[in-house]
Amino acid sequence: MAAQAKHDWADDEDLEDTTTTVAELPPMQKIQNKDGSTTIIEYRYNDDGLKVKTTRRIRYITHREVVNPLVAERKSWAKFGASAKDPAGPAVDTTSVGENIIFRPSTNWRKEAKDESKDPNAQAMKDKLKDKKVKCRICNGEHFTARCPYKDTMAPIGEAGDVAAGMGDEPSAAGAAGVASQGSAGAGKKGSYVPPALRGGARGEGERMGGKFGERDDLATLRVTNVSEMAEEQELRDMFERFGRVTRVFLAKDRDTGMAKGFAFISYADRLDAVKACEKMDGFGFRHLILRVEFAKKAA
Amino acid sequence: MRPILLSGHERALTQIKYNREGDLLFSVSKDQIICVWFAHNGERLGTYRGHQGAIWTIDVDPTSTILASGSADNTIRLWDIKTGKCLKTWDFPTAVKRVEFNEDGTKLLGVTEKRMGHLGTIVVLDVKIDVEAEQDDEKVMTIVCEESKATVAGWSYLSKYIIAGHEDGSVSQYDGKTGDLIYNISIHELNNQLTDLQWSQDRTYFITASKDKTAKLVSAKDLEVMKTYPSDTPLNSATITPKKDFVILGGGQAAMDVTTTSARQGKFEARFYHKIFEDEIGRVRGHFGPLNTVAADPTGKSYASGGEDGYVRIHHFDKGYYDFMYEVERERQNKLSAA
Repeated sequence: MAAQAKHDWADDEDLEDTTTTVAELPPMQKIQNKDGSTTIIEYRYNDDGLKVKTTRRIRYITHREVVNPLVAERKSWAKFGASAKDPAGPAVDTTSVGENIIFRPSTNWRKEAKDESKDPNAQAMKDKLKDKKVKCRICNGEHFTARCPYKDTMAPIGEAGDVAAGMGDEPSAAGAAGVASQGSAGAGKKGSYVPPALRGGARGEGERMGGKFGERDDLATLRVTNVSEMAEEQELRDMFERFGRVTRVFLAKDRDTGMAKGFAFISYADRLDAVKACEKMDGFGFRHLILRVEFAKKAA
Repeated sequence: MRPILLSGHERALTQIKYNREGDLLFSVSKDQIICVWFAHNGERLGTYRGHQGAIWTIDVDPTSTILASGSADNTIRLWDIKTGKCLKTWDFPTAVKRVEFNEDGTKLLGVTEKRMGHLGTIVVLDVKIDVEAEQDDEKVMTIVCEESKATVAGWSYLSKYIIAGHEDGSVSQYDGKTGDLIYNISIHELNNQLTDLQWSQDRTYFITASKDKTAKLVSAKDLEVMKTYPSDTPLNSATITPKKDFVILGGGQAAMDVTTTSARQGKFEARFYHKIFEDEIGRVRGHFGPLNTVAADPTGKSYASGGEDGYVRIHHFDKGYYDFMYEVERERQNKLSAA
């Protein structure tokens, strides 16, 4: 603390520079405040020749500790043996500080420890994700990419062709079939392997069976229509996240103009959250339009 | 709680001990040196060199002037704590497994190993707490353990009894003056040796640790088992915490089996039990070998553990430790503060 009042060698040099070249600076002021602290106001010139006023408030706190005189005396003992040459204070080769251990005695510590290990995903995850900003590279959802429900079926967002293919499978998305066939056609051009079910725009039973999102829970997906053209996925996510963990937001956009087409799908992890969101958000005014929210119908 | 790691030893720790004010921590290990540390920051004050074998045990007198150590080189040595000088060496026919000062530091007991035709004994030596004084060569008393050798021993309150723990799981009470056997009671499972015996602050009761995976709180007067703390691993050490009614147990599977199991299974944790309710209330991890010895700071601010891994870890308790109370304890406190 005392050091703050003094200049160190670097400051001294500064002062010399400025006093020789420019006008006198106001003297340093020390003001005793009523609450016991001291305010120190200093002036100096910085490198650009501008005057800088530094105001510091310093409070000195005297920490008094009563120590057994025997203990105090022992603290002054000279080191000996293998430590004889060590300087004062703990030596790095013999003493180190371990990582922090949280130790909270509790009668049911065993149960607590077990609960955490048993169910790391459900409630804990839900709470954790509530205010966390994690972005999935696949669906832009707020979860780790490794946990993405679509990680096996969709490629990361940057890879355009695959995204198109993924979009093609959105439930009841308008023009889904068209996009899908485009995507697979593109893939065929590149000469990469196309599974038989997707070859030649086949849309038979086989494709449905092995459908990419066969396991997806449509029950917790909302269809939002009358969405403004200027809407962004993130805005929708922010709005709908209030009701629960959102696993996916899909906002249909025009491929050429990049404007929203006016509808979107929101999937929740939990159907109850979806029900709540459906009730609350239906009729919600968003960007000069009134949203219409309903449960998505299964893809035909 | 951020533990301080002391890495002054090159081999497994055998015993650690706080002095009475809790500011110094003494540690001994199989690497033949004794270290003394400042407990508050882990700074090493010095080392005591001179033993020619693994050191099994250590004790410090109540005024923190002299230090006694027992070693596998068949000696008990006295040291000047301040300078590290060896003051006295007593020779015995076999290794010394345990030393302990009595309450006022005038008597020292030593437990010698049963080996090479010699029976295990408990010897008592007169000690003068003065670094200048000439110490007596002669033993004041020798107790021979004919049935089962003693592994640990200690002085009860007012040096009235010598309590010894045996290899067969029993505990004996000897008269502190004459050395006559008063009781011998089997408290642990047969042939599960006692590995540690530590006193409460007033020395009216003690805690034993045994290979039978339990620790027991025993009264010194009549050797009545008052509490039992069961665990799931062989125990090497147990201590009673001052200020809070807890006991700390240290153990882990035998050192020879350690390499065959992972640290997680090895149970290398310090276990906290409530002294009165006998519930386990928490564990502290950190060592990667069994805990050979645990010690509680007599002022209640910290505890330390020494492991087979060669580390001593000093843990200074934080607020959560002091705040923990059972509902009945809290009610009682409220009642007392209201009255």
